[in-house]
Amino acid sequence: MLVLGIETSCDETAAALLEGNQVLSSVIAAQLDLVQKYGGVVPEIAARRHTELIGYVVREALASAGRGFGDIEAVAVTSRQGLIGCLLVGVAAAKALSYALNIPLVGVHHIEGHIFAGQLSNPALPFPHVCLTVSGGHTMLLHVLECCRYEVMGTTLDDAAGEAFDKLAKFLGLGFPGGPVIDRLSLAGNPRAFRFPRPLLRAAGYDFSFSGLKTAVINTFREALARGETLPREDIAAGIQEAVVDVLVGKTLRAAAEKGVSAVSVTGGVSANRRLREVFRKEGQRRGLSVFFPAPSLCTDNAAMVAAAGYARLARGERSGLELDVLPNAPLGGAA
Amino acid sequence: MMVLGMDTSGCAGVFGVTDGARVLADCSFEARRDALQRVVADIDFTLRRAGQTLDDIDGFGVGLGPGSWTGIRVGVTVAKMLALVTGKPVAGVGTLEVLAAGAADRGSNICAVVDAGTRDMVYAACYDIRGGGLCRSGDYYVGGVEGLAARLGGTVTLAAENADRLFERLAPHLGGSGVQLKGVSVGLSGAVVARLAGERLERGEGDDALALTPLYLKESTAKVFRNKYLGRS
Repeated sequence: MLVLGIETSCDETAAALLEGNQVLSSVIAAQLDLVQKYGGVVPEIAARRHTELIGYVVREALASAGRGFGDIEAVAVTSRQGLIGCLLVGVAAAKALSYALNIPLVGVHHIEGHIFAGQLSNPALPFPHVCLTVSGGHTMLLHVLECCRYEVMGTTLDDAAGEAFDKLAKFLGLGFPGGPVIDRLSLAGNPRAFRFPRPLLRAAGYDFSFSGLKTAVINTFREALARGETLPREDIAAGIQEAVVDVLVGKTLRAAAEKGVSAVSVTGGVSANRRLREVFRKEGQRRGLSVFFPAPSLCTDNAAMVAAAGYARLARGERSGLELDVLPNAPLGGAA
Repeated sequence: MMVLGMDTSGCAGVFGVTDGARVLADCSFEARRDALQRVVADIDFTLRRAGQTLDDIDGFGVGLGPGSWTGIRVGVTVAKMLALVTGKPVAGVGTLEVLAAGAADRGSNICAVVDAGTRDMVYAACYDIRGGGLCRSGDYYVGGVEGLAARLGGTVTLAAENADRLFERLAPHLGGSGVQLKGVSVGLSGAVVARLAGERLERGEGDDALALTPLYLKESTAKVFRNKYLGRS
């Protein structure tokens, strides 16, 4: 079955074609120019850009796979979790396609898309497993019981991990997006030069919190400034990254042990972080755990993962009607 | 030429089907919480009402705004994708022109106005009737009613969804200007969108579906503030 995936939940306008488990094309128009200009995602500006780009992106996804509109057999679209004005553009496009082509439509939860990015890149990923999905918009720990069945173990109580990277990088004047910048600077930094807090690392449960870490870094920076000192950016970056990685890895390994699974899947934009991958691989090996990551192109928001999640939902007989609702804060789970 | 027209910029989503001057369907769906979720379902309803299918449609018309920013995005996106998938032409029509067309038999100098939703602001444009068609006689206006009043002259037919209320807001600012104002309440109509788009498409003046963009008339607040405080765009 040839599935067209559409993703517009935040600042990436994306479309992809998937046939079975094979990605035929995946087109992503990022709005990095706008995000850098405004120091973050402005919902109205992002939604305007989606409207301008959606036609081009869908056409390019078809052209680069050598297919036409008539070849598409189903449309999957992110309809849950994201910026409402942005979600509406993708969903409107998907409904028009589904109606004009008389093919099934299925709405997908954005987080479920990220979970499928792991499965799409790693067909050997077994069930059940524990999935950590972490980006600029979310940080969530899940027990994936089987395809499309999840138990949410924990989520962030405030900032997402990637959001903490972004906000700290902005505060320190390092640039945007923060994750890749901090990752790059950390290479030349000493992760032990600053010992920042590891929020909730030893607390019961699997929720996350990163706002305290943010405050600690900001206070350290301001105190140094008041003393007339300048702190080495590389060491600060390495200290921030080490704190975030410690929390993410520590909690995920504890969750894996509690659930007795043999595999962990780490997805989302932050899963591209070099240090996070390194520590996960090392600690996984020590515990006999297999750790899986998506291909780099499937870490950040993309439509191939949406098509994959949609394909799984369609295979279970799920369909969305033309009245498919857009739910910006929907919890994961439930039917499409 | 059979045209499907739509406009989702206002309180009601309007959809219509016309074949030349003949109106086959003209539907208006009151604003509900899920109005924008229902746009494609409402199109299906309208086509059935017209006794047509999407295959029978020769082209599309869509209200570009100004109006609700989210509304015009959804309308433009749907029209764009329908045109791309079916390979049929699309023409964007200004929402103010649609209102003016609804009052075209009531005067020759028409000022069409829609609420901008915030701080007593309105979007407006004036139209003359020339050669049987509407012709915009100046730039689009975005601002308060006081500024709009200052731009009016002579005998003006005011075309708006709630013309009486607008008339009351404008009247105090017209004192002594000699402006003769007549209010005509007109609703947006999908059939009028379809007819105006059809005329344009018949003349071969369709739009590039890929590049079709709403007519916002206003920058987002973030951009306005950025330009104001940082002095660059």
